[in-house]
Amino acid sequence: MTDLTTSTTKPRRKRSRHVALVLAGTAMLTLAACEDDRVDAQAFPDLDSCLAAAREDGLWFTEDDCQTQFAAAKAEHLETAPRYESQELCEQEHGAGACGADPAAAQQNQGGGFSFMPLLVGYMMGSMLSRGGGVFSQPMIRTPGGYSTPNGNQSFAGNSGSARVPSNTFARAPSTIGQAPMTQTQVAQRGGFGASSTARTGTAGRSAGG
Amino acid sequence: MQKIALSERPGWRERAAELGFTFADMGGEPYWDETSAYRFTLRQIEDDIEDPASELHEMCRQAVAHAVASEEWLTRLDIPRPYWDFVERSWANGEPELYGRFDLAYDGSGPAKLLEYNADTPTSLYESASFQWLWFEESRDAGVLGPTTDQFNGIHEALVARWAEMAPQGEDIHFAADRENPEDYATVEAIAWAAREAGLGAHYTGLSAIGLSEEGQFADDQDRVIGTLFKLYPWEDMLRDDFAPNLQPSQTRFIEPPWKAVLSNKGLLPLLWHLFPDHPNLLPAFFAADLEAARKGEPTPFADAIAAAEPQLARGFVTKPIFSREGAGVVITEAGRETDRAPDDSYSHHAHVVQALAPLPEFDGFHPVLGAWIVGRACVGLGMREDRARITHNLSRFKPHFIEG
Repeated sequence: MTDLTTSTTKPRRKRSRHVALVLAGTAMLTLAACEDDRVDAQAFPDLDSCLAAAREDGLWFTEDDCQTQFAAAKAEHLETAPRYESQELCEQEHGAGACGADPAAAQQNQGGGFSFMPLLVGYMMGSMLSRGGGVFSQPMIRTPGGYSTPNGNQSFAGNSGSARVPSNTFARAPSTIGQAPMTQTQVAQRGGFGASSTARTGTAGRSAGG
Repeated sequence: MQKIALSERPGWRERAAELGFTFADMGGEPYWDETSAYRFTLRQIEDDIEDPASELHEMCRQAVAHAVASEEWLTRLDIPRPYWDFVERSWANGEPELYGRFDLAYDGSGPAKLLEYNADTPTSLYESASFQWLWFEESRDAGVLGPTTDQFNGIHEALVARWAEMAPQGEDIHFAADRENPEDYATVEAIAWAAREAGLGAHYTGLSAIGLSEEGQFADDQDRVIGTLFKLYPWEDMLRDDFAPNLQPSQTRFIEPPWKAVLSNKGLLPLLWHLFPDHPNLLPAFFAADLEAARKGEPTPFADAIAAAEPQLARGFVTKPIFSREGAGVVITEAGRETDRAPDDSYSHHAHVVQALAPLPEFDGFHPVLGAWIVGRACVGLGMREDRARITHNLSRFKPHFIEG
């Protein structure tokens, strides 16, 4: 059996094509907003408006990005949008006509429980190119006064147009299907890690690494 | 392997500050130093560093398999007995490893020698994977480095690919480190960015803020259940903390996995020498207690190996505590005389290992040590540190490298 395309020689290039360059500090990995840390973002009510914008002017996203990010936003909406027990409760939070039945609950035939969620009303794409991270997206849902991403840490007046937004806008919201990790729990005890350093002295500020 | 003086990029300090690389200078001394760089040939990188480091990692995996099945070795490695099963289960379940860094002595010729394996909490990842990469790209764009140069640095892409193998899309990973230590935090953030790029959710929590729920699960600083925890915190400490009895019942997935307790332990060095005697990349190494016993003529299973290594040990050896970081507790003895001692002895109350001396080479008065990065099971990049002292420590300079020829 011969396969001329398979060779035992190593790839010529020995380095990454891109890396993540920015260290944003702890703010980046928490929900706290950081004003200095803004990225280009653009919101679209639907896929077609994104495709049209990508064709019209050479911005930082392509038609491909529209497609993949819209699909990603749809999936993430399903996974992270808040869930409610009833249509009424959902509409209280998100406005009249902004909610629908949870397709995931219907599929899993869960019966009852938290089976209403705000509808997907658009998606926001952000450019993380300066971080070497490419294009990210978040689904958008209604709030009584406007629009927001599922984790609710950023709200917007509309679901179209461009803006500079904190990069943590694109931080994933905790998953609301399946529960388990990231669900709120009752903490009984804290501080059980970090006390016993195998070094005898000087633990404060000392690196745990090597 | 040569050390080449190069012009610094104009404005790199401002660029470092802008990127959040706040510790480019530490203690009034440069930490990042691009006034010169090390040049390697592709053959040196691939044949002397990349392939041997990947092989060393496979040997370490065999060492884990050996140790977790041996009460004798678990005892020698000072892994607390109540957690032997926890460590062994993680190995038996095939829990995957994320990353590690071999420290190697190498001067451009002959086999690189393993000094130690930072397999659990290696730092300097951001400097290696990102800032070094930026230095290379910008220096090449500026014509300071030639068009045919390259760098051994696939670390970031390898981390993204490894994360994608290790966790399903959308899984939430918690990252814990000491918030007050920018060097540790930078390493954690570099890894968290890679996780995000792999489609995973990344959340930071302070290590000491982690709580235990009424159901026995761990929770973050916002009371959210932790499913998977990346911890830049050594297993030898995890297994001695107040929460240690809760580790296994919590069902948390830990990264690095608990079996890394065997590798993040300088007792690994005698274990490797025992399993792979005379391997070209290893140095003879023994527990100090075994060495003393053999010299007194008392019975030890290592008497023959010790006798064979005595001439090499007589030329020079290094003593290290089994748990230590950043050179702490290291003592060098040559021809029977102590010739160097790390100023930090905060780990020295632990058992010690004795390893034959492989002196670091000297380039312009500095001693470089190679950090060969392992991601998953393969060597994917290189980061270098150098110091005027022969014992590399936490303030030793980070030096960029490139490949040419």
